[in-house]
Amino acid sequence: MRNKFLLYTIACVLLSSCSKLDLNPLSEASSEEWYTNDTQVRMSLDRLYYFRFWNPDPDPINFDNCGWLDSFSDDWTNRNSVSAIAGGTLNGQSSVVTNWWKFDYECIGAANTILAKLEQPNDNISKDKINQYIAEARFVRAAQYSKLIFHWGDVPYYSKPLNIDEAFKLGRTKKEEILKYIYDDFDFAASNLPTTYSSSEPQYATKGAALALKARIALYMGDWQVASDAAKACMDLEVYKLYPVYQDLFLSKTKNSEETVFGIPRSKEAGIVIAKNQTQQPLSRNASGNDYVQPSWDLLNAYLCTDGLPIDQSPRYNPNKPFKNRDPRCTATIVEFGTSFCGFPYYPHPDSLLTTNLKTGERVSNQDSRGVIQYASYNGLAWRKHIDDAWTSDFQPDPEITVIRYADVLLIYAEAKIELNDIDQTVLDAINRVRARAYGVSYTETSSYPAVTVTDQNDLRHILRIERRMEFAFEGLRYNDIIRWKIAEKVLNTNIYGMIDPEAQREKIIKKGLWFFPETPQIDIDGVSDFSSMYNKGYIDILAKRSFNKSKNYLWPIPTSEILINKNLTQNPGY
Amino acid sequence: MYVCTTPHNTYTLRSIVVWDANISRIKFKDMEKRLLPSFFKVKNVRDAIIITLLISLWSAVGFAQTINIRGNVTDASGKPLNGVAVQVRGTPKGTYTNVEGKYTLQNVSNDSTLSFSILGMHTQIIKVNGRKEINVLLETATTALDEVVAIGYASIKKADLTGSVSSVSGNDISDRKTIRISQALQGALPGVSVTRSSSGPGDNATIRIRGITTIGNSDPLYIIDGVPGDLSIVNPNEIESVTVLKDAASASIYGSKAAAGVVLIKTKRGVAGKNQLTYDFEYGVSQPTRIPKFIEAVPYMKMANELIWNDKDNTGSEYPFYSKDEIDNYSELHAKDPDRYPNTDWSSLLKDYTPHQSHRFGFSGGSDKIRSNVSLSYDDQDAITNARSYKRIMAWANNDIILNKMFTAHIDLHYYHAIDKKGHGTPSAYLLRGEPVEVAFYKDGRVSNYRNGDNRWAYMLRSGSINSWANEFNGKASLDFTPIKGLKITGVVAPDYSYYKQKDFVIQTPMTSIDDPSLITGYVKNAESTNLNEVRNDAHEITTQLIANYSTNIGDHDFTILAGNENYYSFNESLSASRDQYALNNYPYLSQGPLTYRDNSGSAYEYSSRSYFGRIIYDYKGKYLFQSNARYDGSSRFASKYRWGLFPSLSVGWVLSKEQFLKTTPFLSFLKIRASWGTLGNERIGNYPYQSTIGFGNSLFYEGTNVISSQTAFISKYAIEDISWETTKSMDIGIDAAFFDNKLQITADYYNKVTSDMLLPLEIPDYIGLDNPDQNTGKMRTKGWELDLKYSNKIGELHYSISANIFDSKSAMGYLGGTQFLGSQVKMEGSEFNEWYGYVSNGIYQNQDEIDKSATLNDRIRPGDISYVDISGPDGKPDGIISPAYDRVLLGGSLPRYQYGGRINLGYKGFDLSIVVQGVGKINSYKTADMVQPLRSGVYGVPSFVYNNYWSKYNSDEKNEHVSFPRLSQIGAGAESASSGNNYVISDFWLFNGAYFRLKNVGLGYNLPSSIVDKVNIESVRLSLNISDAFSIDKYPKGYDPESSYSTYFIMRQFDFGISVTF
Repeated sequence: MRNKFLLYTIACVLLSSCSKLDLNPLSEASSEEWYTNDTQVRMSLDRLYYFRFWNPDPDPINFDNCGWLDSFSDDWTNRNSVSAIAGGTLNGQSSVVTNWWKFDYECIGAANTILAKLEQPNDNISKDKINQYIAEARFVRAAQYSKLIFHWGDVPYYSKPLNIDEAFKLGRTKKEEILKYIYDDFDFAASNLPTTYSSSEPQYATKGAALALKARIALYMGDWQVASDAAKACMDLEVYKLYPVYQDLFLSKTKNSEETVFGIPRSKEAGIVIAKNQTQQPLSRNASGNDYVQPSWDLLNAYLCTDGLPIDQSPRYNPNKPFKNRDPRCTATIVEFGTSFCGFPYYPHPDSLLTTNLKTGERVSNQDSRGVIQYASYNGLAWRKHIDDAWTSDFQPDPEITVIRYADVLLIYAEAKIELNDIDQTVLDAINRVRARAYGVSYTETSSYPAVTVTDQNDLRHILRIERRMEFAFEGLRYNDIIRWKIAEKVLNTNIYGMIDPEAQREKIIKKGLWFFPETPQIDIDGVSDFSSMYNKGYIDILAKRSFNKSKNYLWPIPTSEILINKNLTQNPGY
Repeated sequence: MYVCTTPHNTYTLRSIVVWDANISRIKFKDMEKRLLPSFFKVKNVRDAIIITLLISLWSAVGFAQTINIRGNVTDASGKPLNGVAVQVRGTPKGTYTNVEGKYTLQNVSNDSTLSFSILGMHTQIIKVNGRKEINVLLETATTALDEVVAIGYASIKKADLTGSVSSVSGNDISDRKTIRISQALQGALPGVSVTRSSSGPGDNATIRIRGITTIGNSDPLYIIDGVPGDLSIVNPNEIESVTVLKDAASASIYGSKAAAGVVLIKTKRGVAGKNQLTYDFEYGVSQPTRIPKFIEAVPYMKMANELIWNDKDNTGSEYPFYSKDEIDNYSELHAKDPDRYPNTDWSSLLKDYTPHQSHRFGFSGGSDKIRSNVSLSYDDQDAITNARSYKRIMAWANNDIILNKMFTAHIDLHYYHAIDKKGHGTPSAYLLRGEPVEVAFYKDGRVSNYRNGDNRWAYMLRSGSINSWANEFNGKASLDFTPIKGLKITGVVAPDYSYYKQKDFVIQTPMTSIDDPSLITGYVKNAESTNLNEVRNDAHEITTQLIANYSTNIGDHDFTILAGNENYYSFNESLSASRDQYALNNYPYLSQGPLTYRDNSGSAYEYSSRSYFGRIIYDYKGKYLFQSNARYDGSSRFASKYRWGLFPSLSVGWVLSKEQFLKTTPFLSFLKIRASWGTLGNERIGNYPYQSTIGFGNSLFYEGTNVISSQTAFISKYAIEDISWETTKSMDIGIDAAFFDNKLQITADYYNKVTSDMLLPLEIPDYIGLDNPDQNTGKMRTKGWELDLKYSNKIGELHYSISANIFDSKSAMGYLGGTQFLGSQVKMEGSEFNEWYGYVSNGIYQNQDEIDKSATLNDRIRPGDISYVDISGPDGKPDGIISPAYDRVLLGGSLPRYQYGGRINLGYKGFDLSIVVQGVGKINSYKTADMVQPLRSGVYGVPSFVYNNYWSKYNSDEKNEHVSFPRLSQIGAGAESASSGNNYVISDFWLFNGAYFRLKNVGLGYNLPSSIVDKVNIESVRLSLNISDAFSIDKYPKGYDPESSYSTYFIMRQFDFGISVTF
């Protein structure tokens, strides 16, 4: 009997423990029941503001930083190396290309899914809200397609969620056609988004943001009238102003200034910061950085003098004191020799072996001098823009990702009007507002800064281009500008110059009292410095060579894997 | 004399006395106690055990006409045999011979039958016929065909097998002196490919059975004593045997879980009457088999200058970085100031060798009612740097309780605890990244100032460590019920709990100025601040089984039928939490960090399956064999409509040697041909693949000038609702043969597998905006063969055996409906599994003219760079451009071919010697840029085999035509990334035959003669010496082991001394 009892008990236990096979995700939600109520839709929309979709840097995985995009431009040096784009080695497997493509489309796919769900009748959400939600999603979609058509030209376009079969049928849509859809999206967004949000509600996309980004893509595509109209409409909202102190605008402490038209915050508290190992790269060595990336001499030379003239024309320029009498944005972007930077006076002179720790007052060895450390800045420069003590205290700064700011809107307006040859006072005012702010004065005080008065289209065009370069260095815009101005083939087929070794410097330059630059280089109309004279005399050395192939590099290659799996996609020429 | 009392009678328990006197040194003093009237009021466990024993004995005592029998057992040479089991057939009564080969059995029925058995000898069955003394001579069994092998939920005599199964004994595993079973299987079994990429403390190896037939997780299913489990919980010393089910016919009893093969581990159990207390101790040292060598400072500086000069198109200074003065005077400078002018051999930061030790204390034995095998073991391994160590404690208890004729219970309890400490990073990777002109630490011990703060050795040795603690407890309780002869019903409940804890503490590590110890010049990269990241993982799983097994025979027809049900459920939950910017470096606890820099996350998943399975085995006279298995599986990983799968199999065998026409063939001892067909499934593709799940994240928004964080939701993976099983159909034909009185044994197999509805994360267009989903798509075929030979014999007292195996498999992808890209490898129609995919090289460009005439990858190709063939273009013909889309082709399979292993065992008196070799006959190996590129990233070290062997402007034209490596460059051509470089992207230039032969293991053992050990009352003492991974022959670049990868820990050569004492 006992045996049987035991047996029955065990059989019951084992059989009754049949596993339940209908298991649902525990720590994730199922998509079937999603998008039904306001909270769920709002959460999905919020995803579209994820910082990686808006980071100006093309490779947000590897370079999660502000301004890294400028590594593609002539404003940048990186010891003896160059980026894949500035080095002319870009191809369809470059991480820049594949990551940017993927991130943009990930965002577009998410926006399309939300839009498809919002089209279905939904009693849980009010009509007004639905309109705003649609406007936000369309704003985001248009912004992402804008980036795609600028870099790749014709790209696959879709506005509804795709299944796999549909996706494989897709080919490339003409960029002109996509541009129309982009305008439609931005127009809908501009008419359905609020102009401002109260300070107690989260700031989603605004009317101004839609107008500003519309103006930008129109300008990039050479659609001058649309660009100037959209920029004008944005200016006419009168909600944006230039921030009074240029240098502070880019620091971590400046949150949501009146100049930000559309920005994504970073936050130390929320753990979204510039990565620690990235932070040290542009920092000087005294500031506990490793001095890995610097502004190029080309950029330094591009800043106008305080008389509004380029360095090769201005009597105020002294090559031995290259920071003196320059547009204030020069020293706001590049650390002026001898000035305080992150607790030390910055002075890269090879014989400056000691420096002072400004916090303790102690004399310490000067790590920014190549006479002390071979790995100090190869061209003597250090990058100041964005950087303050917040970087060195924990190496986790959280400056805003500014997608577009008001100065850009003003200069877009001016540029579009110049290209239309519709030059009036509003054009000069727009440029002068930006320039005057750098000098810390009102644009009407024309005696206090080198106000622009020229009205010749071609002259003004080049003034505007220099203005953009000075204003937006290390904001990820220079590369876009040289591409659309079609000057990349010129400015990216140049050498990157730097200093000769300290011993040779002493011999050839310092003994003769010629430090820092022994000569003034010639600057051409596109801002290209001619260093050949100094190079031929052995004063300076080549660090690396840039390379740009005009027959292909104006467009990026479609990612190789996309080409290989989809016969309907063609590659851009030359790749 | 022990006495116990029941309410009615007093019995003298002679059996217990015998048992006690004969073998046990454990005294059950408490047996003198008077037992309580009721069996159910026991005071403690021991009483319970005793009572249980008594109940059983009760029935055995006092019924038949009994006599006492004694005798001795010897081998053919007359040597007494110790430990022979003497069993009264049909009763639980039995004993063992002692060291003199003597045995005694009391109260045996005078008409009973005795069996005498011991491993390695033919069993003798002898009728008592009233005799009181029975002396027996046992003959050595040279056949392994009588061996019993596990086949999943049951076992079978090897001779009766119809499927393809290989097994290896526990001794062959423990002899290898590894603390991981996976490593000990290398070269041991045909069709079982074991690859290592490192042999760091506690590292596991990868096991693949019959090549790869499925995507994703190709790990075989591990069944430990009948229950799915984790290999890492088993100490190699506890293993009785390892059996591998290779074909579908054998494995289909495990259905959907068996697509990648099944490894059955049987662990040792106690043997009645043979009580042994064993202490094993091993001590050993290990050292890397090979260490790459790098060039010294002066040639390094010259090469670094050349690289920069090359990247400036050979314009400007030829001393762009290290001045001529510095290079010319470097040795003097170095002598004067080695901190500022170092000449570092980074391998000097490694220890010369590293010790390890193991202890195991075990008991095995029991009575005919209770048998146990229990042990406690401890392993301690150090690493080649102080930053790493591994400690492991294992407790093991297997208990069998024979309740009565009908019931047998098994209670197994296993516990495992491992403490793994790792520094950040791996020494081998840091070795090759070291430039000789830097030091990690100044002479005074301070962390040195470093180029990019990338002072990796300081990061590894000074910046904290990653400590992890793994705990796993598993148990198994099972009950066998035998209501009638031949029928056994088994119920099993096997829970497993594991808990994992990890603390990654990074300590802020400042670097200081060479002249000024107080001046912090920066922080070591990745150790910029002190931070703590903790991970906890909590998992449990439970397996229940109900199995009925019935065997019977009707005349010459033998039948075995098995039916069963298995349920499995697992749950896993993890959480992680971190804080950053700790003010203090010595409190690795979360509460010590600031609130601002904290982060945490958590997740969970579960998975369950339910299965029904059955098997029929039929054999006629042991000549015609037939077996059929089927399993019906349901998995929570699929939608309910697509959830269930049936996996049948069929196999037949014909023992030709039992046929009349072959019986007379003198040299043939055994011959069997067998054939099988079956299907297996695969479902290992994440836990909820058919559901599009919503993932959660965070976005930041301004609220005024404040920043708020808002929770977000998004679909990240495309879902395919009808996703279901992947199925592998497999066919196998095999021969088992034995010759010359079973001295030579041969097993050969040929197989063909077709996997269909393969689960593949095929590439979908990135513009869908979602990750590649798993899809049921495509076909793959794998063909292979295996050959296993064994010869054993003896010459006088020298026993020897030689065994060898060789096997091969090749896969071909059928129509896939798409492609899967894996960096340098690919899966596409017509390719092998993960075939190399890249450019076809055309040597090194010698001059500009050659470049001008050919297609190039980019505009920065210069003489000295690798040239590639323009294979195709968008229009299907060469287009004058080398592009990743049109000029990459299949370059050959990446998996090993013609793998082999061999073993020689020699035994002479107390000595035994074993030699194991292992190797791979052919493999397309890839010299990765990490291994061969000089000045990687512009600065890393230069491997010595590159020096003087690369294309250079400074070389003569003639020399340049014969160099093996391209010019030095960092930009474009020389860039290391596949995307922007030319020279180090995947191409056939870097592929070579990575075949190798390895002397895997040499072990020498000596058993002290019984004349010595008997004096100290010890049963046996065994001493052993062992060398693992002594050397290999191969074509790898100098300094690289054929199995190592640059980024993993070294492959270690190991020397062990062991002593094992059995009481």
